[in-house]
Amino acid sequence: METAALMIRKLRLCYQDTRIVDDFSLSLKPQELGCLLGPSGCGKSTLLRAIAGFQELLDGEIWLDNQLLSTPHQRVLPEHRGVGMVFQDIALFPHLTLAENIAFGLTGWPESQRTQRVNELLELIGLSGLNQRYPHELSGGQQQRVALARAMAPKPKLLLLDEPFSGLDTELRGRLASEVRTILKSDGICSLLVTHDQREAFDFADRIAVMHQGHICQFDTPFNLYHEPSSPFVAHFVGPGEMIEARVEGARSVSSPLGLLTNDKDLGFAPGSEVQLFLRPDDLIHDDDSDYTATLVGKHFRGAHHLYEVRLDHGVVLGCFAPSHHDHAIGEKIGVSLDIEHLVVFPK
Amino acid sequence: MTTVVAALCVALPVLVVVSFVITGVSDAWNHLLETLLGRYALNSLLLSALVAIGVVILGVPAAWIISFYRFKGRGILSWLLLLPMAYPAYILAYTYTGVLDYSGPVLTAMRELNAPTWAMDPLLNIRSLPGAAIMLSLVLYPYVYLLARAAFMDQSANLMEAAYTLGQSRSRVFMRIVIPMARPAIAAGTLLAVMETLADFGTVQFFGVQTFTTGIVRTYYGFGDTVGAAQLSTLLLGCVFFLVIFEKSSRSRVRYYSDRLRKLNQTSVTLSGWRQSVAQLLCVLPVCFGFLLPTGILLYWAFFYAELQSMWSLIVSSFFLAGFASLLIVCVALLICYANRLYPSTWLNYATTFVGLGYALPGVVVAIGVLIPFGAFDRGLSELLRPFGVEPSLWLSGTLIALMFAYLVRFLTVATGNLTSGLSRVRPSIDQSGRLLGLSQMGVVQKLHVPLIRGSVLTALLVCFVDILKELPATLILRPFDFNTLAVKAYELAGDERLIDAAVPSLCIVLVGLLPVIWLNRSVTRE
Repeated sequence: METAALMIRKLRLCYQDTRIVDDFSLSLKPQELGCLLGPSGCGKSTLLRAIAGFQELLDGEIWLDNQLLSTPHQRVLPEHRGVGMVFQDIALFPHLTLAENIAFGLTGWPESQRTQRVNELLELIGLSGLNQRYPHELSGGQQQRVALARAMAPKPKLLLLDEPFSGLDTELRGRLASEVRTILKSDGICSLLVTHDQREAFDFADRIAVMHQGHICQFDTPFNLYHEPSSPFVAHFVGPGEMIEARVEGARSVSSPLGLLTNDKDLGFAPGSEVQLFLRPDDLIHDDDSDYTATLVGKHFRGAHHLYEVRLDHGVVLGCFAPSHHDHAIGEKIGVSLDIEHLVVFPK
Repeated sequence: MTTVVAALCVALPVLVVVSFVITGVSDAWNHLLETLLGRYALNSLLLSALVAIGVVILGVPAAWIISFYRFKGRGILSWLLLLPMAYPAYILAYTYTGVLDYSGPVLTAMRELNAPTWAMDPLLNIRSLPGAAIMLSLVLYPYVYLLARAAFMDQSANLMEAAYTLGQSRSRVFMRIVIPMARPAIAAGTLLAVMETLADFGTVQFFGVQTFTTGIVRTYYGFGDTVGAAQLSTLLLGCVFFLVIFEKSSRSRVRYYSDRLRKLNQTSVTLSGWRQSVAQLLCVLPVCFGFLLPTGILLYWAFFYAELQSMWSLIVSSFFLAGFASLLIVCVALLICYANRLYPSTWLNYATTFVGLGYALPGVVVAIGVLIPFGAFDRGLSELLRPFGVEPSLWLSGTLIALMFAYLVRFLTVATGNLTSGLSRVRPSIDQSGRLLGLSQMGVVQKLHVPLIRGSVLTALLVCFVDILKELPATLILRPFDFNTLAVKAYELAGDERLIDAAVPSLCIVLVGLLPVIWLNRSVTRE
């Protein structure tokens, strides 16, 4: 069996008498950066609290580095778990300096090592020399990085991040997510991020578990989630796209309003069955030379490219990326062609 | 568990008082009903109405001027306007009575200048219902001022600018946007003032205005009629109860209107010339009559006439009593707040809300509500111990225990309010961070809560201390024989027409009372 750092088995949790997580299993490999991605209210924060030891289990087990942390009957206290956590509201101790905040969990360390660890972390998060500042003197992004350093300081076996970037503006959010990824990777800490923002998850995680109504829909790499979603929910949640009607023709091909489409893997449907084909904007490419045309009905200029909405002859409206300088007017007929690696097909 | 016990403590006086409604009608009650009840009710109502008008007249214009205009002295006036809060109304009443006495300086001067009688008569008649309304308005308007100012300043400049772009004139914007949005806050402040008015005993008693509170004391002591006093108290409680409900509902709308956008005061207009003088005058008048003038008079009397020696023991015993009682109250409040934080439940929540009613209880009602059960307990215990040769005695009533208990009932909310707001700033994620970084539950309290809520604990202590120092009726009724506090001494001296001698205890109360006002102002401006 593969060694797992964090292992969650058949977890069931309640929040205020409502069962919100049921039959939940998940494992993370050592040094892996995992992510729980789901809409708000899907139970992901409660799950994090359970892993940290603040939440009772109704059923199931939580293991960390082969140590049993939680069962419905016993819980290792939060302070003895070796689990660190970064909170949504940052939760730096307002009465302590940055150095004191970061050193807070280093009880029992010799003074010299403690100072060394604090300086090392301050350097890692790019705030060297600010040891004596107080949290309120920093910007939101800086505070969140200090919170990260504080959680990392005692070298926890697992680091939990509860929507840590959601209080920040969009620009900073994406940058900080990648930055934190780099920091955690360099320290080799196994981590689990909770978020509802798909881009943040893509920036941060090795593998992402998409959650819906208390269970996992799919646990996979960002690439696979985007290109081979296992359910319509996952398909829609991780990025834009539209469903169109199609019919399975052979083991690897379907006929659609856009013609016969083929890929190189089995679709798993009997020929002749009616299915839904999921197409993302990057599956449909604007191509002036294409014989197949569609009517432009909406356009969104994104700087580096256009996102067009085009209506096909059959009335289906799809998204379509076009190069930035291809500026067409709404109502114009433009040429489009398909660029499909994988057919994403769901039962109707 | 602790909260439930605390809720029961607060409930005890209320339940005792209310229970007498069911026990039937006393002879004196019929007498009361025929003769005095109408007068008590009418006077209380009239006084409340006058005070409501008074506090709005004094508080709203000042708040409006401070919020919307810039002028010389605005900064200092904005907090001077709070100072009258340090005065209990009865001390203001003693002071003005002393000054406006027939042989006092003001009227003597007016007679020498041959002032017309129509100018002198109202001053001579200060000891009347309108006089009491003026005294109460002068010390209670800061409630309205504070809440209205906060409401004005919280309004977003965007809203007003939106109204201007829709073609509204300045005065129409004021009438249609600014005032309606601040109305819930003004209403809440006014209701607080009316609640205090209904609970007032010292002022109306001294001015001979017969209201519910003086009626209760008179029925209890004058007629020795426990049942009648309790029933009157119930009536008063009924009024207060409705006011509490109104106050809560208008407050819930206050929050609805607050807005974290660009604040209005950044767009205020600078005044000059006669406009500036009018603005200054409107702000100076309440401060002058509510604080500067009476304080000046008290200081003058205290320095030139009063003897200080006898006061030292009084100050010591008052401070000891208030200090000990506020420590007790804050300890109980801490227990309640932690129970709520660590083991939250809807049950506890209800209990806490009920505890919150304590502050709305008039001191007179609390005193009667404590005295009745404690007295019954004493009689029972004496009866029980008589066979063993123990002399009957007052085990609880007429001891400091009864007094402490009454303070606890009345002021527990003050402490829990302060502590809850302090603790709520320590978000749950702070606790959780502490735990995950290796602290135990106790460690979290020691290393995080103690430093973080120390400020609010001190504030709670200070506010309780001052409130207890000012408290008159409960102390008067429940104090042990021969035990005096500053407030009681001032009351007794004033009752003996020794108004100048009352200056020293009054001044002590006011000066100590200034501390929380100054603190309050600092925390308001910091926000």
